[in-house]
Amino acid sequence: MSSKPDPRDDTAASQGDAAVLARHTELGYAGQPVLSGLEFEIPTGTRVGVLGPNGGGKTTLFRALLGELTPLGGTLEVNSTTATVAQTDRSRLDYPVSALDVAVMGTLGRLPWWRRPGRRERKRALGALEKVGLADLAGSTFGDLSGGQRQRVLIARALTADAEMLLMDEPFTGLDNKSEARLETLIDELSSSGHTVLIATHEVEQASRWDLVLCLNKTQISFGDPAVALSKPVLEATYGGHIVEIPGQPDLGVLPAHHHHDH
Amino acid sequence: MIEWITDPLAFGATTRALIEIAILGTVGGAVGCWVVLYRVSYSAESLAHGLFPGLVGAALLGLPLLLGGAAGIVLAAALIALVSRFATDTDTAIAVVITSLFGLGVLMALSPASPPGISELLFGDLLGTSQQDILVSAAVTIPVLAALWILHSRLLAIGFDENSGSAIGISPGLMTGLVLGLVAVTILVGVQALGNLLVAAILVGPAAAARLLTDRFRSMMILSVSFALLAGVAGIYLSFHARIAAGAAVVGCLVTIYLLAAVTSALRERSPMRTRTSS
Amino acid sequence: MFEAFSLPFFQKGLIEILILAIPAGLIGSWVVLRSLAFFSHAIGTASFPGLVLADGIGFSPALGAFGAAGFFAGLTALLGRSRRASNDSVTALVLVGCLAFGVILASDVFGSTASVDTLLFGSLLSIGTSDILLAAAAAVLAVATTVLLGHRWLARGFDETAASRVGAGAAWLDAVLLLTVAVTVTASLNAVGALLVTVLIVVPAATVRLFAQRITTQLVASVLLVAVLGSFGLWLSYQTDAPPGATIAVVSGITFGLALGVRSLGRRGGRIAAATALVLGAGVIAGCGGSGSNGDQLKVVATTTQVGDFVEQIGGDRVEVTTILQPNTDPHDYEPRPSDVKAVADADLVFRSGGHLDEWANDIVADSGSGAEVVDLSSGLPVQLEGEEEHEHAHEEEAAHSSESEAGHSHEGEAKPAEEEGHEHGDEVDPHWWHDPVNVIAATKEIDTALSEASPDNASYFSERTASFDKEARELDRQIAACVKQVPASERKIVTDHDAFGYFTNRYEIESVGTVIPALTTQAEPSAGDLADLEQTIKEENVKAIFPESSVSPALAEAVAEDTGASTSYTLYADTLGPEGSNGETWMSMMKANTDSLMLGMTGGQTDCFGTVG
Repeated sequence: MSSKPDPRDDTAASQGDAAVLARHTELGYAGQPVLSGLEFEIPTGTRVGVLGPNGGGKTTLFRALLGELTPLGGTLEVNSTTATVAQTDRSRLDYPVSALDVAVMGTLGRLPWWRRPGRRERKRALGALEKVGLADLAGSTFGDLSGGQRQRVLIARALTADAEMLLMDEPFTGLDNKSEARLETLIDELSSSGHTVLIATHEVEQASRWDLVLCLNKTQISFGDPAVALSKPVLEATYGGHIVEIPGQPDLGVLPAHHHHDH
Repeated sequence: MIEWITDPLAFGATTRALIEIAILGTVGGAVGCWVVLYRVSYSAESLAHGLFPGLVGAALLGLPLLLGGAAGIVLAAALIALVSRFATDTDTAIAVVITSLFGLGVLMALSPASPPGISELLFGDLLGTSQQDILVSAAVTIPVLAALWILHSRLLAIGFDENSGSAIGISPGLMTGLVLGLVAVTILVGVQALGNLLVAAILVGPAAAARLLTDRFRSMMILSVSFALLAGVAGIYLSFHARIAAGAAVVGCLVTIYLLAAVTSALRERSPMRTRTSS
Repeated sequence: MFEAFSLPFFQKGLIEILILAIPAGLIGSWVVLRSLAFFSHAIGTASFPGLVLADGIGFSPALGAFGAAGFFAGLTALLGRSRRASNDSVTALVLVGCLAFGVILASDVFGSTASVDTLLFGSLLSIGTSDILLAAAAAVLAVATTVLLGHRWLARGFDETAASRVGAGAAWLDAVLLLTVAVTVTASLNAVGALLVTVLIVVPAATVRLFAQRITTQLVASVLLVAVLGSFGLWLSYQTDAPPGATIAVVSGITFGLALGVRSLGRRGGRIAAATALVLGAGVIAGCGGSGSNGDQLKVVATTTQVGDFVEQIGGDRVEVTTILQPNTDPHDYEPRPSDVKAVADADLVFRSGGHLDEWANDIVADSGSGAEVVDLSSGLPVQLEGEEEHEHAHEEEAAHSSESEAGHSHEGEAKPAEEEGHEHGDEVDPHWWHDPVNVIAATKEIDTALSEASPDNASYFSERTASFDKEARELDRQIAACVKQVPASERKIVTDHDAFGYFTNRYEIESVGTVIPALTTQAEPSAGDLADLEQTIKEENVKAIFPESSVSPALAEAVAEDTGASTSYTLYADTLGPEGSNGETWMSMMKANTDSLMLGMTGGQTDCFGTVG
C-alpha cells in the first residue's frame, strides 16, 4: 500500500551508488575481531533485514556504519549520511520534551555549535513528523506516546537529520499488530523515497519480505535476495540450529518465541 | 503590611543578601534543570568538597584562593567524568573522587603554613555577602546563562538520547562534562556567598519541583527560576521577621516548595489514572 | 615501626575498623551494585539533625543519628515514588532539607555544641566500647541480611532498569537494604565521620567491582579490602601523624586509581601500577620517623593554646608540655591526630580549659587508655559569667518585649548572675574565662597545685614561678584598666564576632553592644532579623568598631561594617593564641594586643596602650 512519493525527495541520497560497500571487512573492539568476512554491497534505497543472534555482530555492524568503529581489516565504505533509530530508551521516557522537540533535535548536526534551531528547523521537523503520520501529535509529550508512535518520532528525527540511511535496531519489539503494520508501511515509504533502511530483527518471516537480507553470526553467513539467501541451512548457521519450522513454510523458520532482546 | 516588606530593605546586609540570592537563584534555577535531567545531583551536592585541596594548595603556594578553588573543582569534575567511564555508575565515581580529594585536602591543611579558617570557605554566609561577591556573581552569571542559551538544544538532545551524539557531532561525555562544568562554576561562585548547603539546595530544589509540575522543558525552566527566586526572597523575609538562620530559612522554603509540588503532582497523577480505568 | 600496635587507643581503633570491614564490605558491595552511593553518602550527612536533637535533649547520639537516618530513608523512598522524580534529586533535596533543619535546631533552638562536630568528624583514634558494640551489631545485621536476602537483592539489581521504581511486591526487599545501609553508615560515623563514610562503604567495593565477576568474590574481597585499607591507613596515620579518616581516604583513592590503571592498561599497566605503589610505599615509610622523649620531665598535655602557655609559664623546664590545639585553629572544630592521643596516653597530667571548647578532651583521655588526671581549670574560677542559653533567651525576650533600640543588647558585659534567668541550663558557664586576668591568676594557682602534687620535688620551683607570673599578671591588669579608662565610659562600646569577650568587657567596664554570631560558639548562623537589629544598635550607639576574630572568617563582620561605617581593621584573639612570632604568641602578649586593638577601634585609631598593633 505504499503511496507514490516524490521520485526525488530532498533528503534522499543520490541514486545509483552503493550506499554501503564492504570488502573483506573485519570489525571488533580493542584488536579482538567480533565480526569478520563481511562482503556485501547495499544499493541506495533498499530495505535490508539484518538477521542474527544476540552477540552475532548486528550492533557492531551498526556502530561501524555510524563511524564509531573503524574496521580492523578490509574496507567499509559508507556513502550515505547515517542515523540510528534506537529502541526507545526506557529511562528517558520521563524526559520533558514533545514529539516536535525530538524531531527538531535531528537538525542540530547541520547547525554550527553556536546556532540555536529556529523557525526553519521547526518547519522541517514538522514536515518530517507529517511524513511519519504524526503531525497531529507534534505537541504531545514524547513519553506519553505509544511504543510505535515513539519509534516513528525517532524516524522523523532521523529524517530531519537528512539521513540517507536509517539503522533500526529491532524496531518491532513490543509493538502491537496495528503499530507493526504502520511501521512496515513507513519503512516501505522511506525506501521508495530513496532512503536505505537497515533493520536488525529476529523476525525471519518479516525479513523475507524486504529487498535484501544480511545474516550474521560472528561472520557473514549469507547476503542477498531473501528468496535466495534465506535457506534453512543459512538460518541454522545463523542461529545455531534452534530453528522452529513455520507451518506451511518449510523453507523458513522462526526463532523460539522467547528469545532474548538484550544487547 | 507595607512596612513588613520594606523594613528588611533598610538594612544593607539584608538587601545585599536579597540581590545575591536573586542572582544565584536565577543561575541555580536554570543550571539546576540540567542537573536534574542529567542526574548529577550528587555532583551538585558534593563538588564543593572537591574545592578543598585546591583552596589549600593555592593558600600554600600563595596564589589567589579563587584560582585554586577553580582548579580544584575543575580537576574534580574532570576526574568524575574520567572515572565514571570505568566505574559502573557515575555515583560511584563521584564517591571515589570526592572522598579522595576531600581527604587530600584535609591532609594538606595539616601543614602549618595553611591559613586559619580555610575550611570556612566552604561554608559561606548569605548575610555576609559583600558588594564584591555580588559583582563576581553577576559577572559569572552572564556567561553561564549565555552558554545555556546557546547550547540549549544540544544539551536537550544529548540528555534525551546519548546515542544521538554521533549524529549531532558532539560526544555525550563532553556534554555531561559541560553540565558538570557549569555546575562547578555555579558552586565556585555560590559557595563563597551562600555556603555549600544552600548552593546544593538551589541547584536541585527548584528544578526538581518544576519537573514534578510540567512535561515541557521551557515551562520547567521558567518555573524553576521562579521557584528559586520565590524561595530566596521568602527565606530572607522569614529570616528577618521570624529570626531563623538565613541560609537555613531559604533552604526550608525550597524544600517546602518541593513538598507542595510533590503533593500537587501526586494528586494529579492519581486523578487521571482513575478516569482512565473507569472509562 | 610497629610500636603503634601496643597502644590501647590504636588497638581499639584497629578492632573497630576490622569489625566495620564486615558490614562496610558486604553492604558496600550492594551499594555499588545497586547504585546507592549517593544515598549512603547522604544518609550519613543527613544524620546531623538527629545528632543535634540527641545532644540538645540528651539521649544517645547513635540513636539520634539512626533515627534521622531512618527518617531520611523513609522520606526519600516516599518522594521518589513519583514517575517524574528522579531518585538522585530527591536524595539531594531531602539531604539539604535535613541539614537545614539541623542548622536551625543548632542555631535557633539549642545552640550548637562541640559534640555534634566530633560526631560529624568521627575518628578511629577515639573509639569507645559502645562504638565497637555498634559496629558489631551492624556486622551481624549485614551478614544476616546478605545471607538471607542476598540472592534476591542480586536479582532485583539485575532486572531493575535505571528509572523504574520498586515494584509493589518487592518494596520491602529494598526497604531492608536501605535500612541495613542506614545502620552500617551510622556505625561508621564514629570511625570516619559523616563526610568520609563513603570511603569505607563505596570506595573499596567499587575497587573490587572493577575485577570481580561473581557476587561471592565481590562480597568477600570487599570485606578484605576494607580491612586491609582501613588498618593500613590507620597505621600510616600513626606513622605520619595525620588524621586517620583522611589518610584512609587518600590511601583508598590511590588504590582505586591503581586498580583502574591495572584494569585498563592490562599487564603492562599492572607492572607500572605495582612499581608506583612500591615507590609510594617506600616514600611513606621513609618519611616516618619515631619521636623520642626523655623520661625525667613531668609529661603534661594542655588542650588549648592559652592553657599550654600557662602550664609552660609555671612548669618552666621541669615540665614537658604538649599543646593539642594549634594556634589560630578554631577549637570548635577539632579533629584529633595520633600524636595528640599518644601524648595524652603518655601524660601524667592533662589540663583542659573547660566548657564546650574542649569537651573532646575527656573522650580522648578515656579512649586513649591514659591514667592521667584531668584538671579542668574552669571549675574553680572566681569570676564566672553566664553561658549562651541565658544570653540567647534574654535576647529573644528583650526583642519581644521592649523597644527596638534595646533589642540588640547583649547582657554579657553586665555580668548578670546566672540565677536571674532560672533556666534549666543555668549552670552553663561562658568558657572564655582567660580574658580576665583575675581568672588566669586563679588558674595558675591551680596549675601550681596540680604540678606540685605530681612532682613534689619541684614544688618550690613551681611556686616561685607562679608568684612571679601573678605579679606580672596583676601589673598587666592594672595597666589595661588604667589605659581603658582614657576612653570615656559612654564611648566604651564594641561589637565582636561571637560572645568570646564577656570576661574582658566585664573586667574593664566596656559595653559589649552585640555580637555578629549570636552564640558562644562560632558554628551558629545569624538570622537576618538579628543582624538588622545589630546594625541598628551599632548606628544608634555610635559604635566605632567591630572586631573580627583571628580564627573566624570575617565575612559577616565585614558585611555589617560595610553598612554601618564601623571599622573592622582590628582583629582580636578570641579562642586561641597567635602563632609563634605574632603579637599574640603568649597570653601576656595576646592580652596586650587585644587591648591595643580594642583601644584603637574605640578611639578611631587614636590611642593605644602597649604599641603592639602595627
